[in-house]
Amino acid sequence: MDESQNPVYKDKAHGQFRELSYSYKDGGNFDQTVGFHDQVDRLVLQQAWDLFHERIEAAKQRVLAGEVSPIVYYMEKNLLDPLNLSMMAGFSVWRVKWHFRPGVFKRLKEPTLQKYAAAFNITLDQLKKVD
Amino acid sequence: MDEIKTIINYTHRQAGHCESGATSNLFKFNGLDISEPMAFGIGNGLFFSYIPFLKIQFAPMLSFRNLPNTVFKRSTTYLGIESTVLKKIKDPKEAMDLLDRNLENGIPTGCQVGVFQLTFFPPEYRMHYNMHNLVVFGKEGNKYHVSDTVMEHPQLITYDDLLRVRYAKGTFAPEGKMYWINHAIDKPVDLKPAIAVAIKKTVYEMIGIPFPLIGVKGLRWLARDIRKWPKKHGNDKASFYLGQILRMAEDFGTGGAGFRFIYGAFLKEAGELFNNHEELLEASDMMGRTANKWREFTYTGARNCKNRSKPEEDYGTLSEMLLEIANHEDAVYKKLKKIKL
Repeated sequence: MDESQNPVYKDKAHGQFRELSYSYKDGGNFDQTVGFHDQVDRLVLQQAWDLFHERIEAAKQRVLAGEVSPIVYYMEKNLLDPLNLSMMAGFSVWRVKWHFRPGVFKRLKEPTLQKYAAAFNITLDQLKKVD
Repeated sequence: MDEIKTIINYTHRQAGHCESGATSNLFKFNGLDISEPMAFGIGNGLFFSYIPFLKIQFAPMLSFRNLPNTVFKRSTTYLGIESTVLKKIKDPKEAMDLLDRNLENGIPTGCQVGVFQLTFFPPEYRMHYNMHNLVVFGKEGNKYHVSDTVMEHPQLITYDDLLRVRYAKGTFAPEGKMYWINHAIDKPVDLKPAIAVAIKKTVYEMIGIPFPLIGVKGLRWLARDIRKWPKKHGNDKASFYLGQILRMAEDFGTGGAGFRFIYGAFLKEAGELFNNHEELLEASDMMGRTANKWREFTYTGARNCKNRSKPEEDYGTLSEMLLEIANHEDAVYKKLKKIKL
C-alpha cells in the first residue's frame, strides 16, 4: 500500500494517546511507528460509539415514557446486555428481564436494588431515577 | 503506619499487543532478550475464529488471537522457563496480598484485567473487554505502578481501582488471574527448538483443526457471510457488524491488521536466526503482503461504513477481498507446513 494513502493523523484533538503500530514495506522490513489513531480507527470507533449513544438515548426515552424500568437505562449506559448484567448482578437472565418491568421494579426490595446499584457502581437513589 | 514504597527497576516498553508486549518485557527483565514479535510467535498468538451465534457488544464474536494467557504460558513452556500462573483466586484481598508479596520479593507480576473500569485507559476504548494484560511493578502508599504496553508511559492506579478491574465480571472474567516468571534466567536459552514447535502448532491451529469456524476455514465462512449481511440484517446493522470486524482487526492493541504484521516480523526474525533460512524469509514476505491486504480491506471497509451508497455491491467486493486474503494466508501456512526446521 502506498505511504501517501496511509496518513497517520497527528492531531491531539482526537485521542491524546499514541499507540504503536506495525507496517510492512515490500523488500522485507517490518517497521514500528508510534502515532495517534489513523482514519480507520477514528471512523469505526466513532461508529460504535454513535450506536451506543443512540441506544442509551432510546432507553432513556423509554424509561421516561414509563415503558421500562431504569435498570434498562443503566444497563445501556454501562454498555451491557442482559446476559452480562446477570453475571455482574448475580441474578439469572430471566429474572433480570423480569425486573425490566416498571411495576415489578417498584416492588423490588432494597437488597435486590443494592446488587444492581453495586453492579452499576452508583447509589440507590440514583438507580431509582434517570439523570 | 509509614508508607510502603517498593518500586522494581522494570523497563516499560510500548508494544502493539498487550499480552505479548507484557511477556516480552517480563523476559527482558529476567535477562532473556526477546522482542515482542518473537514472544508473540513462540507463544502461538496468531489465531482466527468467527462465532456468529455468540454476540459480544451486539455484534458477532470475532477473534484474531488465541485465548488469554496462551502467549505467556506457551512461550514459557516451549522455552523451558519456570513460571507461575495463578487463576481463579476466590478472595480478592488474597489476590492483592499475593501481589504485594511478589512486589516485596522484587518480582514484577502480570495481571489479567477488564478494560471497562480501567481509569487510565483511553475513554474511546473503554468497552467490556476482559482479556487485557498489564504488569504491576511497584507500590507507593495506596497506589500501584503499572506498565500497560498499549500506553506510552507507565501509569499509576489506586488499590481499589486495581482490585475492581482484576475482578471485572462478564465473559472471560479475569477472576484475579496473575502470572510471573519465577527467577532470573541465568543459563543461555536456545530459541530454535521452541520456534520449530511454535510454528508447527500455529499452522495446525490455522489450517488443521477440523472445525469450520476456526482458522482459514473460519475466514472463508466470514467472507461468505459478509455478502449476505445487508439483505439479512438491513444496512445499519450490516454496517455496524462490519465496523466491529474493523475494530477487532485494527484496534484493541493488535499492532494493526489483526496481528499479521507482528507474525510476519516474527517469521523474519526466525529466518534470520536460522542463518537466513530462505523459505522462512519468503514466508515472512508473504505474510507481510497478506497483512498489507488486510490493511487494504480495512480501508475499503471503513470507506464503506462512511458512505453507504451501493451496499450490496460493496459488500460483494469486501467478501471477495476477504476470500483472496484467506487464499493468501492458506498459501503461507501450507508453505510453513512443508518447512523442516
